Amino acid sequence: MRKMKFKFFTLCFTLLLTIFILAVIFCVATHTTFSALITSIMSKEIQFAIKLSLLTSIISTFLCIIISVPASYALARYKFIGKNFINTILDIPLALPPLVAGVGLLLLFGTTSFGKALSSIGINFVFTTLGIIVAQFFVNISFMLRIMRSTFEGINPRYEYVAKTLGCSDTQVFWKVSLPMSKAGLLAGSIITWSKAIGEFGAALMVAGATRMKTETLPISLYLNMSCGELNLAISVATILIIVSIVSLFVFEKYGGTARLY
Amino acid sequence: MIEVRGLSKDLGEFFLRNINLDIKNGEYFMILGPTGAGKTILLETIAGIYRPNKGKMFMDGKDITYVPPKDRNISMVYQDYMLFPHLNVEQNIAFGLRLKKIRREVIKDKVEKSSKLLNIYHLLHRYPSTLSGGEKQRIAIARAMVIEPYALLLDEPLSALDTQTRDRLRQELKRIHSISKATIVHVTHNFEEIFSLADRVAVMNEGRIIQVGSPDDIFRKPNCEFVANFVGVENLFKGRSIIEDGVTRININGVDIFSTNQKSGEVFISIRPEEIFLSKEPFKSSARNSLKGKVEKILNSGAIAKITVDVGIPFNIMITKQSLENMELEEGIIAYITFKASAVHIF
Repeated sequence: MRKMKFKFFTLCFTLLLTIFILAVIFCVATHTTFSALITSIMSKEIQFAIKLSLLTSIISTFLCIIISVPASYALARYKFIGKNFINTILDIPLALPPLVAGVGLLLLFGTTSFGKALSSIGINFVFTTLGIIVAQFFVNISFMLRIMRSTFEGINPRYEYVAKTLGCSDTQVFWKVSLPMSKAGLLAGSIITWSKAIGEFGAALMVAGATRMKTETLPISLYLNMSCGELNLAISVATILIIVSIVSLFVFEKYGGTARLY
Repeated sequence: MIEVRGLSKDLGEFFLRNINLDIKNGEYFMILGPTGAGKTILLETIAGIYRPNKGKMFMDGKDITYVPPKDRNISMVYQDYMLFPHLNVEQNIAFGLRLKKIRREVIKDKVEKSSKLLNIYHLLHRYPSTLSGGEKQRIAIARAMVIEPYALLLDEPLSALDTQTRDRLRQELKRIHSISKATIVHVTHNFEEIFSLADRVAVMNEGRIIQVGSPDDIFRKPNCEFVANFVGVENLFKGRSIIEDGVTRININGVDIFSTNQKSGEVFISIRPEEIFLSKEPFKSSARNSLKGKVEKILNSGAIAKITVDVGIPFNIMITKQSLENMELEEGIIAYITFKASAVHIF
């Protein structure tokens, strides 16, 4: 009897939490009518925000993949001096508040001679689309790195040894064995990174600012329209962001679980 | 010929110390040793996965110490198969061939031949995750053999399999070796594999090679206590076995022994000392084997005495100290030994 009571007690918490989360999403999704939602989404401003968000998030996710795959492979496979130290440093962006990351990036690209040198050859990060991309990249790279590192660590190195004895060079081993075997982890990591990039606000706000129709990504648009009372526009953006998150979560759950199968 | 000279490698937990080996072309060479002896890293170092800290390796006289694995043409099979999960069976077997610039038809032909040799032709389009352990190991062997390696390294290839599959695959390894004449280096901790497969055996412990010789040498003339204790087989004989009317008779130097095991030809047999009765008079019983001989040696070591009786071949028998006193045995007298046919183990 007591056991039953305890089960009921704990289940109540689970249930309450579920209701709370559903209520939040429900409020956003049902705030306006469907037709008003479509009209808002078709508006010039939201179309711009969608396109800018897609562009920046795809590029930053792509950069995360390009950089994290070789870096995480090195961390998973090789022994070198200072590995622990480097591992800790590479995890920092994960723990850093995005606003702080944004301030750091702003200072690096805006005030140092490195940043000035870049801007003198036309590569400008401050208050530009490039700034959004670099902000998304900085905030997400550690995350991608961690997923890929544990994916590579999960592959028994003997697969690679066998491939070598069959005639593969180190590079061929990577392309023909290690990478195909980490497909699931790579897919899961990319999806979740992309979804986080779409929702990135704090760091991007600091580096690229919130200029309507210029650096207006979906979250920035949500912020701008909320602050000036354009509720319908804000809600339409929120709805899009909810859909992106839920779909990504679903894909991640489906493929992320098999990432360490081998 | 693969020559290993003064090879040392330190990987922390596992290590090799001053390894010297000569593995002849076409030889079935086995490495025997307890867990943690360094058997696997010896194979991996021969394959070129690790660079030795010290020592050299030669292949047909050519120094291969620093040649990368891909250029050695030495392939490897692990206990847990290591089949590439993202490739089907055919792609797994063809993996090594596709890396070489070989025409598609030739690859297809070779894959077909080797898969037929290993009875896995019907599995070519399946994926590894759907196969049994025995099937996976056949594929792993086919994948390693199809590139026609200079040497094939097998790391406990039969250990993960159930008894029946293991016996069958062991027979196939023997058949494949006799067909292909490949040089095989096979790591094991199973004595039966040694007697049915090995031309020569190396016993390894704590990163060192302790003894190298024919299976017969290792088991009969262990060169140190470790080998003697590790291989620890008493009453081991080599003979010719004939099966007549369902009864197996093994002739060893003119002495006939009967067994319930069915195996003919050149065999090894062993009888555990505690399965043998010793008597001063002929012992009438249902046991098939009863032999007359002379007590040659009595080794009294505490509670148990070891008696050696020569019946044409020397048998060791264990009896308690009490029995030794009651029987009034002494060296030189006539005695009879008796054991059941089911106590005679053939391999």
